[in-house]
Amino acid sequence: MTPATTPILVVEDLVTSFRTGGGWHPAVRNVSFAVNHDETLAIVGESGCGKSVTALSIMRLVPPANGRVAGGHIRFAGRDLVDLGEEEMRTLRGDRISMIFQEPMTSLNPVLTVGFQVAEALRYHRDMRRRESDAAALDLLDQVKIPSARQRFADYPHQFSGGMRQRVMIAMALACRPELLLADEPTTALDVTIQAQVLALLAELKAAYGMAMIFITHNLGVVASIANRVAVMYAGEIVETAPVDEIFVHPTHPYTELLLRSIPRVDRDAGGLSTIAGQVPAISAMPTGCRFAPRCPHREHACTTRDPLLVPLAGAREHQVRCWLRAPPAEAGHA
Amino acid sequence: MPDPALSVTGLRKFFTVKRGFPRPKTVTVRALDGVSFHVGEGEAFGLVGESGCGKSTAGRAILRLIEPDEGEIAFKGENVVTAPRSRLRVLRRKLQIIFQDPYASLNPRRRVGQALIEPMRVHGIAGAAECEARAHALLAEVGLPANAMLRYPHEFSGGQRQRVGIARALTVEPELLIADEPVSALDISIQSQILLLLQRLQASRRLAFIFISHDLGVVRYFCQRMAVMYLGRIVETGPIPAIFDAPLHPYTKMLRDASPVPDPKVKVVMLRIEGEVPSAVNPPPGCHFHTRCPHVMPVCREAYPEWREMGGGRGVACHLHTK
Repeated sequence: MTPATTPILVVEDLVTSFRTGGGWHPAVRNVSFAVNHDETLAIVGESGCGKSVTALSIMRLVPPANGRVAGGHIRFAGRDLVDLGEEEMRTLRGDRISMIFQEPMTSLNPVLTVGFQVAEALRYHRDMRRRESDAAALDLLDQVKIPSARQRFADYPHQFSGGMRQRVMIAMALACRPELLLADEPTTALDVTIQAQVLALLAELKAAYGMAMIFITHNLGVVASIANRVAVMYAGEIVETAPVDEIFVHPTHPYTELLLRSIPRVDRDAGGLSTIAGQVPAISAMPTGCRFAPRCPHREHACTTRDPLLVPLAGAREHQVRCWLRAPPAEAGHA
Repeated sequence: MPDPALSVTGLRKFFTVKRGFPRPKTVTVRALDGVSFHVGEGEAFGLVGESGCGKSTAGRAILRLIEPDEGEIAFKGENVVTAPRSRLRVLRRKLQIIFQDPYASLNPRRRVGQALIEPMRVHGIAGAAECEARAHALLAEVGLPANAMLRYPHEFSGGQRQRVGIARALTVEPELLIADEPVSALDISIQSQILLLLQRLQASRRLAFIFISHDLGVVRYFCQRMAVMYLGRIVETGPIPAIFDAPLHPYTKMLRDASPVPDPKVKVVMLRIEGEVPSAVNPPPGCHFHTRCPHVMPVCREAYPEWREMGGGRGVACHLHTK
């Protein structure tokens, strides 16, 4: 790999476990990926697939009462976040790594003004004085296109609409010009026209700052419009990863393929809609072998006995698939 | 066109709410401001729009779960609005509703079997033994195992609970089902399962639907006709797919183009960033949409456009289409 493409974040064999019913079960299992500067990686999957837990693991925000990062490495700008002390982690969070969530109202403090909250990260991480941080915060609110930002600076979160609150969250997250932004379903709670606006804003700011973004969503339509690369997760594992143009044209894992055919499209008549029989297995009752096998129409005996590996497809190193049938390791040509 | 199963004319519902802190002000939410449409027998009619456009209020007002202020609702010629309690009970057998979150509408302390049998008893549909047999048949029809009868709502996943909600709505053999965002809370793979189930029921039982959704893709897939609502009014109505292929109202077009498509070659039209969008509390004067409309003309700021029939079963309220 050339230095120019050294990834800002490398996640290797991440395992994050949760305690349920007396035992520890992995919600994220052996997840590996990398994100480069100025790149958007979309992690897509259905509820419970581990996409949010992956993001929380990177932020070191897995609730310690019943969850823990049980293995692997999270290398951010050369440092392994897994080993970092909480004090050091606090200096990174909100400075070099930021996160935005689905519901901005639960992440904003209802009794503090919007301006105060946007300026807070600058006071904490940059030791700015009030006057200086307020000026910078006002500039940020302008950048996320809050109209008459000066007048709205002293407003409280409840005085903003959902789309505007999400833009305030984005302003807060970007205050310290992070190198990595984690966006966990940031547009899911928004109306489609507002979603389109927020996606446009995120794309614009990502390009302007050259930051890396991990965009977590269940919506493959949103993935298509914002991502450079895509990782599809199922039952705690990445089952397929590829550049965005590749995965939508050549979905290779049966899960990705079925998922794409299960979406009613607004731009054309769907014809027959595919379904995926059954449901996602519970975290405490994962099947052996391929975790998708019980729902897979192409299932063969081998699928239910041995765990498939995430291997590159022949002739397409960037496109990796975890499937015994569609991506047998021999065909991939590496031992 | 045959007589519609349901016709709604000039439906109006204003809510008065207190808003604001620390000095609350009384404001009027114009949730439904003269809404008219009809649904044919066995037809799936989509009601689409963004949050706060009044689509859910319309669904509830039709069942008189919310009493409308004004307007007419006729089901097979019978006036729902003026129906006395005894008739309303009969009408509610024919008109049923399913919700986005069936968990909220199921009693957590009652087994699914009880939830299914109760409406049949209340409406005096059958004796105890037959009710039980019917409940079993319904569970099979919606794709749930027979042992679901003895289980509690919390034991089911979201998709299964929606199946329970559908089965319960079917207990009284309705002719029209109001489906209020029935698949919005479900994962994609489960969403398609439920859509196919509803589609099968529409065919096998000749069920008519009012399908309320913010997801245009789902509406395009499931419905034959649809109406687009904006701030308490219908701005456009027409058959599918014509209304998608050539939307008449700029808002319909904006909604269509902003809906993400799972294809990186079809880029979502990234919209110009707006400030606060108007709500039904303060609909702008003239055409409600004029503050966001790319084709706004001086007349749009002054007068609400009249409804105009456009042929082919289409209609629109927009000054671009008035003579």
